[in-house]
Amino acid sequence: MSTSKEHPLSYLLRQLELYTDLPVEERRLVLDLPHRLRRLDAGSYLVREGDQPTNCMVLAKGYAYRQKVTGDGSRQIIAVCIPGDAVDLQNMFLEVSDHSVQLLTQADVADVPREALQKLVLTRPAIGTAIIKLTLVEASILREWVVNVGRRDARERIAHILCEFAVRLESRGLLSDHGFELPMTQEQLADATGLTSVHVNRVLKGLEADGLISRKRRHIHYADWRALQDAGDFSRRYLHISDHDTIAQTF
Amino acid sequence: MLDVHDLAPLVRRWSKHVDLAPDDEDAILALPFTRRSFGKDAYVIREGHEAVECTLLLKGFAFRQKLLRDGSRQIISFHIPGEFLDLQNGILGVADHNVQSVNRCETAVVPRAALADLLADKPAIRLAVWIDTLIDASIFREWIVNVGRRDSRARIAHLLCEMVTRLERNGAGSDGILDFPLTQEQLADATGLTAVHTNRTLQSLRRDGLIQLSNGILRVLDRKELREVGDFEELYLHQKL
Repeated sequence: MSTSKEHPLSYLLRQLELYTDLPVEERRLVLDLPHRLRRLDAGSYLVREGDQPTNCMVLAKGYAYRQKVTGDGSRQIIAVCIPGDAVDLQNMFLEVSDHSVQLLTQADVADVPREALQKLVLTRPAIGTAIIKLTLVEASILREWVVNVGRRDARERIAHILCEFAVRLESRGLLSDHGFELPMTQEQLADATGLTSVHVNRVLKGLEADGLISRKRRHIHYADWRALQDAGDFSRRYLHISDHDTIAQTF
Repeated sequence: MLDVHDLAPLVRRWSKHVDLAPDDEDAILALPFTRRSFGKDAYVIREGHEAVECTLLLKGFAFRQKLLRDGSRQIISFHIPGEFLDLQNGILGVADHNVQSVNRCETAVVPRAALADLLADKPAIRLAVWIDTLIDASIFREWIVNVGRRDSRARIAHLLCEMVTRLERNGAGSDGILDFPLTQEQLADATGLTAVHTNRTLQSLRRDGLIQLSNGILRVLDRKELREVGDFEELYLHQKL
């Protein structure tokens, strides 16, 4: 769990190391990236569509989501960012932001100057490759979301997204006792899955009634991990972490 | 028409992203590769396979897809010549989705290790590949919005606008007339609709005088209105790059 002593970029490093073995020197260079820490309230915008950000923001603590709004004003959440995620790597090169990023919870955000990160990518092949991999995994998750929203039914969609949270959080040491504090309202879950909030409510109740999860306010407990994966048509391959179901081993 | 050198499209594509030095270009063109052809509807890459090579599309149309356990298919992107079909597999090591050909395809297959060496040796190319992957991700984000929050008419119109924009940028087609070999079933699988629904939607777009689609030829008759219906803003394609 995150403590105040934790280095603000430690989750970023942890994420990079999921996909690439970094030498000691490279590890140090990541942690030594210059940064300024800001504490922001839930609901704050980190990036607005059309912005031209100059820093690269890393979530040190807290959660955020990426969203787009369609012409008729409906919202689609396209990703949920967890500690360690760099929320706007794309803006280092794609001059204008193509979507908005908003905080789900109060958060600590580390602003890293883009030049510093670009320099690491250019001068350190291992870090460059690790960051490309991180971007590729992000794209892989987006592809899976296209499938989730395009071809799965409501129960599968919700079960799938809950499984994804579990595996991603566990990979960064943020899952405790088979559960976590879901940082989203039912309306936000609906916007992430292309459903209505009424529908999400019904599905969550169903998953709970069937013993797959249990809930206490926003806290989600993975009561039957195997059955939930089955309900969500979930296979972890697209997360490119490891084939081992490390969560199953802890039951 | 194919380029004099099969890998020339890569140089062209990446030099839009970064300034490539002459020896960067030489290194790209010196990549080892083999030509491989695929017939219509063939599997180019299968999910779960260990990736030992990366496939560059030279000619034809292809798409990425995932199959669900009930046998339904979701198409995740369409690809046109000059694009890698599986760069991510080559870098991440395993294919997390399938790639299929739409029509007859010509490809250049580059060994994974050679590409990895290129990325390690050439910082400018590393940046260019990174930018490519960022643009890919941006397109996927827009597709989530398309299937998640647009109605069927907007979904189809949006997809058509995207394809037209990308194809024209690639130098294909003129005066809004394009080779467009995608079937209605493929359009349906890309938009999360049924084939019947897709057919009805295409007919209504035709009735309204926006497009004409027959025998693999797409005619865009009212570009402005098609963009309007599709809620299409091309920012997410990052074409200025």
